[in-house]
Amino acid sequence: MSERARWIASAVGLLALLALFTFVLQHYVWSAPAAAFHWQRGGIEYELLEPRALSVVLLAPLLLFVLGRSLADLPWQQRVLSLLLRFAFLVLLGLGLSRLVRSDETHRVATVVLVDVSESVADSTLDKARAEVERLYRAKGEADLVKLVAFAARPRAVPVEQGDRLAVPPVAELRWRDAAGAPKTQAGSNIQAALQLAYGLFPPGYLKRIVLLSDGLETEGSLLSEANQAKRFGARLFVRPFRDPPPGEVAVRALRLPDKVDIGQPFDVTAEVYASRATTAKARLYQGETLNGLDGVRDVELKAGENELKFKSVVRVGGEVTYALKLSDIVEDRFTQNNALDVTLDVPGRPQVLYIEGQPQRGSYLVSALSAQQFDVDLRPASAMPSSLRELERYDFFVLSDVPREAVSDAAQDLIERYVRDLGGGFLFAGGEAGYGLGGWGHSTLERLLPVRMDAERRKEMPGVAMTLVIDRSGSMSGLPMEMAKAACRATVETLQGDDLIEVIAFDSTPTRYVKMQPARYRARIQNDIARIQPGGGTEIFSSLDMAYQDLSVVQARKKHVVLLTDGQAPVQGIKELATGMLAEAITVTTVGLGEGVNQELLRSVADAGGGRFHLVPDPNSLPKIFTRETELLAQQAAVEEWFPVEQVGNADFLKGVAVSAAPLLHGYVATQLKPAPAQLILQSDRGDPILARWRAGLGWAVAWTSDLKNNWSVDWLRWAGFSKFWGQFVREHMRIKRRQELPMQSELHENTVRAVVDAFTADERFDNNLESKLIVTGPATAKGKGERREVPMRRSAPGRYEAELRLDEYGSFMLRAEHARIAPDGSLQPLATSFGHVSNPYPREYGRFEPDVDLQARAATATGGSLDPEPSRVFDPQGEKIVYYRPLWSRFVLAAIVVFLLDLLVRRVRLFDRKFLPRRSVPPRAA
Amino acid sequence: MGLSGLPLGSLLGIFGAASALVVVLYILKLRRRAVPVPFSRIWDSILRDKQASELFSKLRRLLSLLLQLALLALLVTALGDPKPKEDLREGRHLVLLIDASASMKAVDVKPSRLAAAKAEAEKIVRGLGAADRAIVVQLGSVPTPRSSMSGDQSELLQAITAVSASDTRAELEAGLAFGRDSLRGLAHGELVVIGDGAYGDTSTLGERVSLEGAVLRFVPIGKSGRNLSISEFSVRRYPLDKSRYEVMLEIANLNDVPADVELELAGDGVVVDVTRLKLGPNERLPRYYQDLAGASRSLTARIKAAPGLDDLPADDVAYALLPERRRARVLVVSAGNTYLEAALLLDEYLDVSQVAPGAPLPDARFDVAILDGVAPSLGERAGSLLYLDPPADGPLTHAAPLEDFGFDTWERKSAVLRFMSMGDIQVAKGHSFKPQAADKVLGASDHGPILVSGARDGHRFVALGFDPRNSDLVLRIAWPLFVLNTINAFVEEDTGYVSSYRTGEVWRIAVPGSLASVSLLQPGGAKIAVPVSDGRAVYRGEHAGFYKLSGGPDDAPLGEFAANLSDLEESRIAPRKELVLAGKPASAVAIAPVSFKSDLWIYLLLAVIGISLVEWITYHRRVTV
Repeated sequence: MSERARWIASAVGLLALLALFTFVLQHYVWSAPAAAFHWQRGGIEYELLEPRALSVVLLAPLLLFVLGRSLADLPWQQRVLSLLLRFAFLVLLGLGLSRLVRSDETHRVATVVLVDVSESVADSTLDKARAEVERLYRAKGEADLVKLVAFAARPRAVPVEQGDRLAVPPVAELRWRDAAGAPKTQAGSNIQAALQLAYGLFPPGYLKRIVLLSDGLETEGSLLSEANQAKRFGARLFVRPFRDPPPGEVAVRALRLPDKVDIGQPFDVTAEVYASRATTAKARLYQGETLNGLDGVRDVELKAGENELKFKSVVRVGGEVTYALKLSDIVEDRFTQNNALDVTLDVPGRPQVLYIEGQPQRGSYLVSALSAQQFDVDLRPASAMPSSLRELERYDFFVLSDVPREAVSDAAQDLIERYVRDLGGGFLFAGGEAGYGLGGWGHSTLERLLPVRMDAERRKEMPGVAMTLVIDRSGSMSGLPMEMAKAACRATVETLQGDDLIEVIAFDSTPTRYVKMQPARYRARIQNDIARIQPGGGTEIFSSLDMAYQDLSVVQARKKHVVLLTDGQAPVQGIKELATGMLAEAITVTTVGLGEGVNQELLRSVADAGGGRFHLVPDPNSLPKIFTRETELLAQQAAVEEWFPVEQVGNADFLKGVAVSAAPLLHGYVATQLKPAPAQLILQSDRGDPILARWRAGLGWAVAWTSDLKNNWSVDWLRWAGFSKFWGQFVREHMRIKRRQELPMQSELHENTVRAVVDAFTADERFDNNLESKLIVTGPATAKGKGERREVPMRRSAPGRYEAELRLDEYGSFMLRAEHARIAPDGSLQPLATSFGHVSNPYPREYGRFEPDVDLQARAATATGGSLDPEPSRVFDPQGEKIVYYRPLWSRFVLAAIVVFLLDLLVRRVRLFDRKFLPRRSVPPRAA
Repeated sequence: MGLSGLPLGSLLGIFGAASALVVVLYILKLRRRAVPVPFSRIWDSILRDKQASELFSKLRRLLSLLLQLALLALLVTALGDPKPKEDLREGRHLVLLIDASASMKAVDVKPSRLAAAKAEAEKIVRGLGAADRAIVVQLGSVPTPRSSMSGDQSELLQAITAVSASDTRAELEAGLAFGRDSLRGLAHGELVVIGDGAYGDTSTLGERVSLEGAVLRFVPIGKSGRNLSISEFSVRRYPLDKSRYEVMLEIANLNDVPADVELELAGDGVVVDVTRLKLGPNERLPRYYQDLAGASRSLTARIKAAPGLDDLPADDVAYALLPERRRARVLVVSAGNTYLEAALLLDEYLDVSQVAPGAPLPDARFDVAILDGVAPSLGERAGSLLYLDPPADGPLTHAAPLEDFGFDTWERKSAVLRFMSMGDIQVAKGHSFKPQAADKVLGASDHGPILVSGARDGHRFVALGFDPRNSDLVLRIAWPLFVLNTINAFVEEDTGYVSSYRTGEVWRIAVPGSLASVSLLQPGGAKIAVPVSDGRAVYRGEHAGFYKLSGGPDDAPLGEFAANLSDLEESRIAPRKELVLAGKPASAVAIAPVSFKSDLWIYLLLAVIGISLVEWITYHRRVTV
């Protein structure tokens, strides 16, 4: 083999070796999982922490290469040996660098002492705790450690040694301090957090011990649940509970109110008061900002332990009412924070009644009656009718009394209908001079809603209406006004019933009967007569009105009415008096002024005196509409003004205890007709006309009262002793029942987080899963207001179960309300139910309990393998326990490397092979 | 600088012995080979060269010796493990909060977010300076330190390895509070949160947790937030027909695209229903299985989605346990009460035994005893007691005889009075009670309590202050409801039963009150002892699945329950790139690629390797000898 070929072969061989090492390292070291370098042998675990350091073997080809070009005068055996030794040297250093460790055992103990420095622990108790720490320190072995953690709501590590000397800080320094080192109150005890901090203080290679010096009154976290964690962590918990009796302390722990409070109903407010020892105090109970009226201030003697104080109270006004109990003048009391506690109660208010009265000044009678029956009545004129369903929804019952149709828009009527049908509101439509047909309510939305029709049947024995139209045919009426006046007369005839009587008088300077008084059934003839009317000369009203009076006074009809139409000025003398006289004979007069030039004052006064209406009509085209309307008002109405007794013909719960038969007479009503079933007639007149009829309309009740509610037709009823009870019971039965049923809510407060749970069931006791619910938390209530309002959605956590959680960072009383809506098929939400709850977070829980909880601590200690009240020596006794830790072995490899290093040197310094031992040559004697 | 390895004396001894050996070896001349030289003139020239280079040869030998001694000195020094004095420079103190919540099981980064977080933590630990200290904390529902505050990398790396994911949410607030507490009083504190940032709303966190000067750093983990989850899974028996039950589950598609899901429901391990569902983007789809009557007790729901839509398998399975419907043993001590007997007939799951007052009691244990007008001492024979018109020597003192009264107030939320309206019940005669402080008044007339619950000698009781036959109660539907509600409340078999607990919370599971601790078999098979307080086993559960409780002298089974994550917030695994506290974003972590380690011996050994290589080369090139 040539020199070149040998060189190439050597290079290839070296590269192949390098590639092989690289592959092995890549495959088994660099990309191997950490677990690959962990193994066990003979019960001892080994692990390479830095396996990549084994990469030093990549230097082996370099060693080989250098050796191949060596000029050293060594036999080949020694060269090989030297190479192997140098390679071993590198491998040993590589193993050292890869940080091989092995498991080992130890019995050293590290103890972390947790000292409770919360507010509930007195200084004298902390002094004892310090002494306890010193006892523990003295009991530790030389290799053992003691560390100290002081905790309240949060823990902090406290140095316990100065140099090698024990130096437990004095009590004042053990107490909680802020970041700047200043003393700071911590109203809380979180033993769990202290334990967690302790875990991080244990150095490796020590048995873990925790000694808890506490009263066990944890306000946050859970010691018991953390005990499992401590055990898993290998920490054994020993407890030496504080057992000092609590200091002189009085605390209000709870204020109990009934679930449901009715206005005006007395009830008990029960306070739970804890006293650590017998003492006296002054208790003040506040309702809102003022002292509780029935029982506000009391000097109480408190026995040691739990005390129950009962106060009588009553709520007069509905809404949220906050009760606060405050204790003062306590002989011995460490904390003042727990001397007051408040609770807010939601008292349903009185039923709300909206009363729209056409004559509000006469509405006080019903208002008084209902107020006496514990209703809140909102009396308004028709102009203040609510304009939205939302506003109307506030009311439980709605009375619309003696209001003409013009005063209630179609939109408002629709609102009323929706209020009744959709929201289940109660609705009473009361009569009067503008009620039913008298108010033009025929064919209206409200007529459809009510259980009566307004086109009352006429009395057979006499015509319903006798009507005289007195038309101005003066010259100024020529043209369109005259034609429209005649059209209005014709429309009037069309509107009247056949039996009704009609007469048309046209006047200029003198009156002329164009249509004599005759039944309206002769329509063709009457209309021909009307067509004959032609414009004439001046304007003389008195004589024509007198003619009408004369004619009407001799006919028999239930209602006699004159409509006077004029467009100009006329002598006024005697006209008003004439109208007054006509009204005295039950002949009413309505006046219509056409155009701007009319004597409005005259016509208005005539209408007022005649008991009719005044219409000012600028546009002649409106005349037929006005006449038709006037005729409808007259024809459809059937006001019966006579004294009559009310007769009960139907059963209704609200009449229980009300002697209707003994009620005074009514003096009038509007005749109507009962609609077919399910309309129910409850009261009727002696003529058999409906007085009180009702039916269910959608979700609510629609009730018709055809008489009035004022000192007109009901004047004697107002003085009746049963008036108030009658209407009170009536409204109570028909008012809106809150369709939103109440679902019970379970609420609890845990570590400042309120959790509310509502179970919803359907009517057949199945789970109601189709709700969208939200929780509204309001509070804390203070004298300044109800507090912040927060809203969180409730999640569906199980069939029919809805849950929500909310963190409360403030102290006080909180109202909870859950609103549940059903998801309609179209995706919209329909309000369905509400839930109410309450939580009280009056003050930090640190100020609520004072009796040490030894049992809790003992159970936690037992769970970890520790014990209650151990001797200090026991804490540091390994009790056979040992801890396995990892001991680094790198130094052993370094030692081995030193040995290999020396061997390598020996191999290179001493010829071991290829030695030739020549016979000692004899040295010739030096020549002299 | 100090030594933490072998003491100085030992080191000097080793060095002295070894260096002496080295010197001896160098004193020894390497015997040269005998080479016959045929011509003496050539030999002369060699001898002349030798004489010319003798001084240089001596120097080379000395240099070589010094090199070997230096190598030896480095090795021996390394054995001493020299350490820099810690007080020369005060380093950083780091709290490494490694998010180990359920969302960290997501596999959008391989192999998982948690593994990626641990790798990041390892990087930080390896980059720690000589004076730096760190503590490794597992951040779950509670912070759990896995190491002490240490500068020992091996300890810290082992602690990182020990971090394991749970099925809970990460309570960042608790973690930050822990970190703050750990750093209190230490210089250069840094809180390093390593996680996906899925911690819910942290906008108000800054108001609640003050870091007291510590620096907050954040190492974001995770790439995408694709996930489908079973956000709720629960089962309840119907309140009236307890033989049937209803299952509710809710599947959430937390992706912005629609998803096809296969939902599998298994009872006692056997698949009973497979449904394919289509969920819209970000849709939560509740499903109800109503009127179920099977015998399965343990229910498991599992969803499967198309690949690429679900990065978190942990919330794809949920567990529920149907409440056991065992027969309640009821003892009736009565001279005969048709109404009571009729009411008890309504529940087929009652084993009723009746004895007359004064007759020998059956030698058996009963869950509930109904004492009709009597109050005999039953000792341990009965768990709970329902007194109907108890005599004055019963559990409650009589306050006053009453006539013509009714319920004016009552606890509507009480399980005993569930579904009942007591307002119009008329009672002819009875008496009111004087309850004790711990008793609870469930119903009262204006004259005093007439329905009271409480406990005496460890036995719960409900007492009614009148004979129901002296009222119209027995004629109403409220009567059987009252009797059965009371029994259900006593045996805790009411509709308030929760079929699964939520992981991350402290569970308080009812167990016999006489036990101090019980055994809990966890889903992974591990069995642990759990302390009992106030008749409840207290445990903070971190893993979803089925649990079994046992206890007592023979470790008898006490019950089972299930636990689920059921946390939609935790299922929203979209990672955050930023963590903002009090309006200030957490800064990134500065990791030194190479840092000065406190372990000087490492550098010494590296130097030894380098020098030994140089020595190897020079020796074989005859530069040194």
